[in-house]
Amino acid sequence: MRFRATIENVDTFHRIIQTVEKLQKKCIIKFGESEMHIICHTDESGVQVWSQIRVSALFTEYRIQSNSRNQIALLLGADALSAALRSAAAEHTGAEAVVMKLAKKRDVAVLSVEIFGASRMGRHIRVAHDVHIEIMKPADIDRLKEPLCPEPDIHILLPSLVKVRTIVEHLRALSDVIAVRANGVGKLQISAATDSAKTDVMWEGCTNPKMGAWRLAGAEDEDEQEKPDPEQLFGVLVQTRSFIKFLNAHIVSNTTIACICQNHCLILYVYIGEVADAGGVLTFYIPAVLDD
Amino acid sequence: MLEAVDDEEERIPPVLTSSLHDIRYFSSLLRGVNFANRATVTITASGFTVQVEEARTIIATAYIFADIFDEYTYSPPAPDPPSHSQSQPTSSPTPPPSSPSDAPTTALEIPLGTFIECLNIFGTANAGAGGAGKGGKRWRRPGEEDDGDGGADGRAARIQQFFTGGEKRTGMRMSYMGEGHPLTLLVAEDAAGPTAKCEVTTYEAEPMLDLPFDSDQTVLKIILKSSWLRDALSELDQSTDKLTFVGNPPVPGQARARTTAKPIFRIEAIGTYGSTEMDYPNDRDVLETVECPHPVNFSYRYSHISKALKALGSSAKTSLRIDEDGLLSLQFLMPSPKPRGGTSQAFVEFRCLPLDETI
Repeated sequence: MRFRATIENVDTFHRIIQTVEKLQKKCIIKFGESEMHIICHTDESGVQVWSQIRVSALFTEYRIQSNSRNQIALLLGADALSAALRSAAAEHTGAEAVVMKLAKKRDVAVLSVEIFGASRMGRHIRVAHDVHIEIMKPADIDRLKEPLCPEPDIHILLPSLVKVRTIVEHLRALSDVIAVRANGVGKLQISAATDSAKTDVMWEGCTNPKMGAWRLAGAEDEDEQEKPDPEQLFGVLVQTRSFIKFLNAHIVSNTTIACICQNHCLILYVYIGEVADAGGVLTFYIPAVLDD
Repeated sequence: MLEAVDDEEERIPPVLTSSLHDIRYFSSLLRGVNFANRATVTITASGFTVQVEEARTIIATAYIFADIFDEYTYSPPAPDPPSHSQSQPTSSPTPPPSSPSDAPTTALEIPLGTFIECLNIFGTANAGAGGAGKGGKRWRRPGEEDDGDGGADGRAARIQQFFTGGEKRTGMRMSYMGEGHPLTLLVAEDAAGPTAKCEVTTYEAEPMLDLPFDSDQTVLKIILKSSWLRDALSELDQSTDKLTFVGNPPVPGQARARTTAKPIFRIEAIGTYGSTEMDYPNDRDVLETVECPHPVNFSYRYSHISKALKALGSSAKTSLRIDEDGLLSLQFLMPSPKPRGGTSQAFVEFRCLPLDETI
């Protein structure tokens, strides 16, 4: 089992791991030949993250070799990896190259992040962070399954996550559960309702992306017929806390598509980089709170 | 369900509609009294008051005048609505039908914390509501020239105004249909941004604690710049238990002496870890007005006085009065972001009962 890569895009990688870190202590990183997956699926609130990132978006000189279809899956502490990447991303270290590799130190498997930099005086510095990992068995990896969701009722492009976060943090003071609703003509609504107040925050003119590529062409036509009223709002109730966990992803990107499966779940696709040239996508699944 | 009701009541004008293009000043006034969740709002034609009480000892009232709003319309509900067969004959609790000559008022109770949270939903109500030193005019002693006092503040405020001028403002529209209806708030940042509609539940107003201050029996009256009081109170340890205000009549010949035997105004604080005494000099730059016919000494619970710190912090001038029963009245003049003059300056008043020294 061999793995070695130069992290080209330290900032982006760091931001992704920071987002994951806020969600869950441990996460699974599955490296493949051309893609890496970051998976969080054991959070007690039911929020799951399944991300798919093109290797070329983050790494160069990427080499991977293993007995199971050249895949390697690791279970590691997101905070430890985040700390290593933070030091690599910090400007004052003047990192010239950051290399990540699989190693064994004192019979313990580690993911070693080596930072090669130079001090102000021009001396070469090498800093290495060893993140303890647990190599996962291929059988366990195969058992990991993305949550199954029905065909979403609505897709909508979210406004800037930073702004949404400010609003949701204020709603948190009002209620533990918020409703996220959207319709087919660009209307997005986030609401909180309690005995003392009922609050609806409304955005108009959001984009409803065509998600045709993800379906069969025929199925889409059928869908259009099924949904004669684009004005109809589809909604889902989610834990405010869970939603805020997702909103931490604002550091990764500004393009997010929300998919609402009415009364089932909220799926959020956070694109890494620009949509046109997305290096990957972080997918958040937030289960619905069933009310009444 | 609400829509159905709306249709029926379309002919009746809402009891209150008001709008603002910048909510920061309004929200800073409300935050000044935000220490208990239930607040009584009393609406009149010239503005409204928001009153909060705690422990039946302290009441705080924010006086918000109509002209801080861009639009303010109060239409008192008709005493006996003719088109309403199913509603109670007397819908508003405050105006007694026996005294029609009185200006009509409408009282309601709202969860104040929730209301402020809704107002600040975009996180834009926090920015400082300007420290315009213009506020002092009303309480300045007659005949005194507009000297340097407050001038620096005024300049700073003007500069601040200049910098915040291009910033996006959050506007709001507030309406109240009448008893049994929520207080509806529409908050929007700009035309392109999101809009928030909040319906804050209203409750029937309960009679509030009344602490009448007898201004004829004032035993101590001090007017000073708020920062002088704020700096003093912020020095105090949080464990402070009891706060005592001591006043002594100024000695006429000794106006400038700082070493008077008896301090003209002293704040004493006693807490778990010791006590603090702070004396104010008899200096017109510090204490603008001192009226104290005879020595006074009254104590208050610090936890009550500390409720006023937020309002104190955003105010320009403070009038501190104590009547002969020891009832403390603290009035904070809240500088409005625009120099408007007139009586439109909103203020926040705290009244607090003294500790009974005999027990």
